[in-house]
Amino acid sequence: MATLLDPVQSIHSAPARPVREGWGERIAPYVYIAPFFVIFGIFGLVPLLFTFYVALFDWNPIGEHVFVGLDNFRRLFDDPRFFGAVRNTLSIWVLSTVPQLIIALLVAHLLNHVRLRFAVLFRMSMLVPYITSVAATTIVFAQLFDRDYGMLNWLLSLVGVDPVDFVQSTWGSHLLIAAMVTWRWCGYTTLLYLASLQAVPREVYEAAAVDGAGGWQQFRHISVPSLRPVIVFTVVTSTIGGLQIFTEPLLLNPSAPLTCGPIRQCQTLTLFLYEQGFGQFQFGYGSAIGVALFVMVVVIAGINYLLSTRVRRER
Amino acid sequence: MKFRTAASITVVTLLALSAGCSGGSEPNTGDGKSFEFWSFTGINQKASVDEYRKTHPDVDVKLTEVGSSVETAQALTTALAGGKIPDLVLIQGDDLPKFVQQAQNFHDLREMGADKIKGDYLDWVIAQSSAKSGQLIGIPTDVGGMAMAYRTDLFRAAGLPTDRAAVSKLWPTWSAYIETGRKYTAKTGKPFVDNAATSVFYQAVNQGTEKYYDPQGTPVYATNPQVRQAFDYGLQAAQAGITAKQSSFTSGWNAGMNQGQFATIAAPSWMLNSIRTNAPSTKGKWDIATIPGSSGNWGGSYLAIPKNAKNAKAAWDYIAGTQSPQGQLEHFVTSGALPTTPSVYTDAKLTGFKDPFFSDAPTGTIYTNSLLGLKPFLIGPDSSAIGQEFLNAITNVEQGKGQPAQAWDAAVKNIKTAIGK
Repeated sequence: MATLLDPVQSIHSAPARPVREGWGERIAPYVYIAPFFVIFGIFGLVPLLFTFYVALFDWNPIGEHVFVGLDNFRRLFDDPRFFGAVRNTLSIWVLSTVPQLIIALLVAHLLNHVRLRFAVLFRMSMLVPYITSVAATTIVFAQLFDRDYGMLNWLLSLVGVDPVDFVQSTWGSHLLIAAMVTWRWCGYTTLLYLASLQAVPREVYEAAAVDGAGGWQQFRHISVPSLRPVIVFTVVTSTIGGLQIFTEPLLLNPSAPLTCGPIRQCQTLTLFLYEQGFGQFQFGYGSAIGVALFVMVVVIAGINYLLSTRVRRER
Repeated sequence: MKFRTAASITVVTLLALSAGCSGGSEPNTGDGKSFEFWSFTGINQKASVDEYRKTHPDVDVKLTEVGSSVETAQALTTALAGGKIPDLVLIQGDDLPKFVQQAQNFHDLREMGADKIKGDYLDWVIAQSSAKSGQLIGIPTDVGGMAMAYRTDLFRAAGLPTDRAAVSKLWPTWSAYIETGRKYTAKTGKPFVDNAATSVFYQAVNQGTEKYYDPQGTPVYATNPQVRQAFDYGLQAAQAGITAKQSSFTSGWNAGMNQGQFATIAAPSWMLNSIRTNAPSTKGKWDIATIPGSSGNWGGSYLAIPKNAKNAKAAWDYIAGTQSPQGQLEHFVTSGALPTTPSVYTDAKLTGFKDPFFSDAPTGTIYTNSLLGLKPFLIGPDSSAIGQEFLNAITNVEQGKGQPAQAWDAAVKNIKTAIGK
């Protein structure tokens, strides 16, 4: 063995030989990663900066562009529709993210069980909602939750509850959208958790079982702590996704699609942006909404980052 | 070396991209034998194109159905702002004002030959595609007209007349219509109309001589008594308890139509196709009466040619070839789109046309009658935003969430927020 390892060791233990790196070799790594940054620059950074620029104008996409300074932002902070959209966005985000992560955590714990039969089938079927198109999901959910002909209200009527008008009421529409988001993303998050859980040695669970820990205690004291990094990751990604929910509210109320209903009861920030930009052709005002959304995401992602570094230190 | 290669690739890519962006301003280089045509779904433009191909086998029409009418207008906006533009585009009437306001993006069709055929079309229809300068950006392909579709079986069950002339006499005005609804609902316990916003307010407000702007282009939505009157009709209908509270084009609306949940629905000519496809099982149970107030228009489309179109001439030849009075008459017979050319309104092909789905109603006569004698009103840049806020306010009352007494003030306030004046 020792003789076999010798050449390797000799390389590692050799005195640092001055490697004559050419200018090209030093620059090479940067060139290899350049394609991403070039493409990101063109399709990510430039549009982002351009949005900041457009936000300073009264910008008609097929007409005049008039410089108005910060007027769009002043208007934004006087606009009750903007604050309504912020409220809707945050409400839908909380309603969809919190249950989604909790359900995913519990399901992942169950799917990780040793004696589970057809484990692969269950694990794979979790992904089915994820590969279904958002439009199809929205149409089916809107029918399930319909006031007069929906299955859910039919079930409620069997137990004597009056029909609930989910789409037209504020809380109902938020719940409906949150249900769609949860349904769609739960499986994906579950698989992320499951992958991390499988890295936890079986012996830990067995030892805990021997010590008399029940399922809940195993979940609480083994599964959750070992999942901390991936929980932080999913919180961050679902926050960014949750603040940008768009397709579901757009398709929910076909009679007033851009406002998601007569009193903008489920109009999210991205939908408000779309309404102003592409419904009313006010690109400048739409861009100002985009900038506000950008700031919100940065602030919330920053809070997430602080929390996640705290979690890391605790470990 | 490698860095330099990468840098030059980047530069070349950037140049290529910026060149692509400026493609829209290239000079006209069309061959005159082919052109790009953007239309929207649900209007069966393919039938017209196929017809045109038969008579013009040497012309290659590249038809793209972009999406819904709104999506098509959005795609056109994006294209005009910097992208690949079509040579010919179909624009729905509600989306048209935004483009008329920015007429510099389009060819003046008068210069291409429209000044000679302008007189063929209803004057108030073609007025809507004319800019302040007099530039004409679109030729109208069809109009909606207005009428009231009703279920004969449900009317009979409620003890109301079923004959279309007798039914039309039930509601000379919107007040009479709402009163009929009260009787129907009292007798049957079922809703009379699908919703108050579209079937009452939206119809009534389009029957006036002036809408949200005065002829000088000043917004008068808050002070125009005609708008207020239409809004009050909408509120009355919403409060009378005669509506099914089904907003148009939603899944509940589709289901309600199939189930016979409501007995009447305001139906411009293009709506007949929606009813046909949504509720095929109701064939023969519908008939068509005149709209309360007897005349008005909802909808219609226009063909326009963007300024930088490469094949503007071929596109214009298509317009001239298909949108003649005879061409529009043929299209009415095959697809039900109502002609915008009054000279064919007395043609036997149109007056003799009967629709078996709607109890053999003479749709040609009913709808063209609703169009005669209309006066044009100015449609301004924010007309659609204003209309949407009024619709929302009525729906809000209908759903039991808004206070009727404050609905008007709330709507006016929302409009001020939305359009800034």
